[in-house]
Amino acid sequence: MDEPLVRYEKIDFLGEGQFATVYKARDVKTDKIVAVKKIKIGSRLEAEDGINRTALREIKLLQELQHINLIGLLDVFGQKSNVSLVFDFMDTDLEIIVKDNNIVLTPANVKAYMIMTLKGLEYLHQNWILHRDLKPNNLLINKEGILKIGDFGLAKAFGSPTRINTHQVVTRWYRSPELLFGARQYGTGVDMWAIGCILAELLLRVPFLPGESDLDQLTRIFQVFGTPTEEIWPGMKCLTDYVQFKPFPPQQLRHIFSAASDDLLQLLESLLAIYPPKRCDCTQALQMPYFSNKPAPTVGPKLPMPSSISKIEIDKPSLKRKLLENMDGGSRAKRLQF
Amino acid sequence: MMPGRIGNMPISSENPLGLSWHDSAWIPMLSPSNIMDYFSERSNPFFDRTCNNEVVKMQRLSMDQLQNMTGLEYILLHVQDPILYVIRKQHRYGPNQATPLADYYIIAGIVYQAPDLASVLNSRLLSAVHHLQCSFEETMSYSKYHPSKGYWWDFKATKPGISPFNAGQSVPKEVSSTPKEEPSTLFQRQRVDMLLAELVRQFPLPIAQTTPNQANGVTIKSENTNDKDKTDNGNVNNITIKQEPVDSSSTDMTNGNISGHAEIKTEIKQENMKPPPEKKPRTL
Repeated sequence: MDEPLVRYEKIDFLGEGQFATVYKARDVKTDKIVAVKKIKIGSRLEAEDGINRTALREIKLLQELQHINLIGLLDVFGQKSNVSLVFDFMDTDLEIIVKDNNIVLTPANVKAYMIMTLKGLEYLHQNWILHRDLKPNNLLINKEGILKIGDFGLAKAFGSPTRINTHQVVTRWYRSPELLFGARQYGTGVDMWAIGCILAELLLRVPFLPGESDLDQLTRIFQVFGTPTEEIWPGMKCLTDYVQFKPFPPQQLRHIFSAASDDLLQLLESLLAIYPPKRCDCTQALQMPYFSNKPAPTVGPKLPMPSSISKIEIDKPSLKRKLLENMDGGSRAKRLQF
Repeated sequence: MMPGRIGNMPISSENPLGLSWHDSAWIPMLSPSNIMDYFSERSNPFFDRTCNNEVVKMQRLSMDQLQNMTGLEYILLHVQDPILYVIRKQHRYGPNQATPLADYYIIAGIVYQAPDLASVLNSRLLSAVHHLQCSFEETMSYSKYHPSKGYWWDFKATKPGISPFNAGQSVPKEVSSTPKEEPSTLFQRQRVDMLLAELVRQFPLPIAQTTPNQANGVTIKSENTNDKDKTDNGNVNNITIKQEPVDSSSTDMTNGNISGHAEIKTEIKQENMKPPPEKKPRTL
């Protein structure tokens, strides 16, 4: 019982959410930097139900999942009435990168982020788990440029035909039209739609469909993709929250994403198909020509980092280069890196 | 000369030097501040929309970021304010290093790709050779050969048929007006007319014909005027002869009070005047 307390040394306060406080800490045992998520006890009423539901989900699912592009749950420990979860420490997330105006996301960078996200999500879907809360904020990135999907607070197993799910999942801007229409039975399509919105955001550097309400969200979707008809989306009118919308004509995606290559637009169109069964899954997406065409995805260490973190990054290679230079007697010509 | 011509390359589809592009809606308001926007119009075939400019624009970032990127970009190279802009397409390797790939000039709102030196030389050489070849072919068509006479130039026979290059000269034009006859020079015609006029003056023609007309006092007068006109105008041009019957008839109309005289006069006049109208086409 005392051992875990000694094992993690608190270094820094990282952030506070609704259900948890996150600290940066050092694992004394392995000398690794980790993130410790301390679940709040909450009110007495909540405490009566036992441990917080989102934390329970994360513990339940992540214990069994192991993938380079999923956040790793390293340890869980209890202290008094609190429960703390220990995760891989991640330096930043995609939201911070998207919002950093000093960073230019090249087509190669975008491709690298998409490959890592899709690979992680593919693994998740293969294990019959829906993430249900994909957004740039939950795509975590470490100093090595490895992207990991995080925050499994809303993740849930899917595929049982009788199970009814709630449609109040996914941050609104990344929520798919079937969720907005109140669908209770859905599949991987909800995650794929969110991926499509994230890809669009990487290209535009602003949220693609920033709806102000659920209805406004649908309006924005239809203004871009056209209001679906019964031919495009059979059974749409049977959804519980279905509302008749003013018919909008579909827009050309290549006009919105002016610098996007044709293979990228093909992927985007496939991810953001209005009719859920027509949406591609992760495996299909990764097979699309976009991922085999030029340019090649940027390798992890060369991916951009926010200025506060990249400073450390710059120091490291220069030290390495110095060592290399000493080894070679400093004779080799340096290759300039900008 | 023809700017788009290069060797045997297909003209419009693959060779950008044969292309031009413009958007007439933009042309009146072009300025150094919006010229890059004009160039990056979607329909402009010279603009590669996967370039860094478009990536930065789509991400709503500052164009200063271009300096830090690598890859394809367009820059405004030169401005000569109201009319001429030069845009360069280049591959950037770093903040201080870029390799030019192509230049485009926008003159009066119309975008062209500036040709490379090889294309210009190629085009000029080709057109020079083309004209040389045409002239040789033309010349060859005039050369004649006969076993007994050997070679000679024959420009006359073939002219009406094949003479696209001599069409500008004056001689063939007159030939075409009277195609069957051999052309005469201006000198020849003037000399002949002069001689004829001289002869007419020395040997007045109408001696035999005037004797019946002498009965009418009025007509002699008119004939004298006719002769005068003839001698005056003969040297210059024979067209004036045409006017003679008109003049004489008008004088007849004014002077001829007696209808009988007038009738005779016209008959005689017709006899007299017949030859000159016939001559006209020959001499013209």
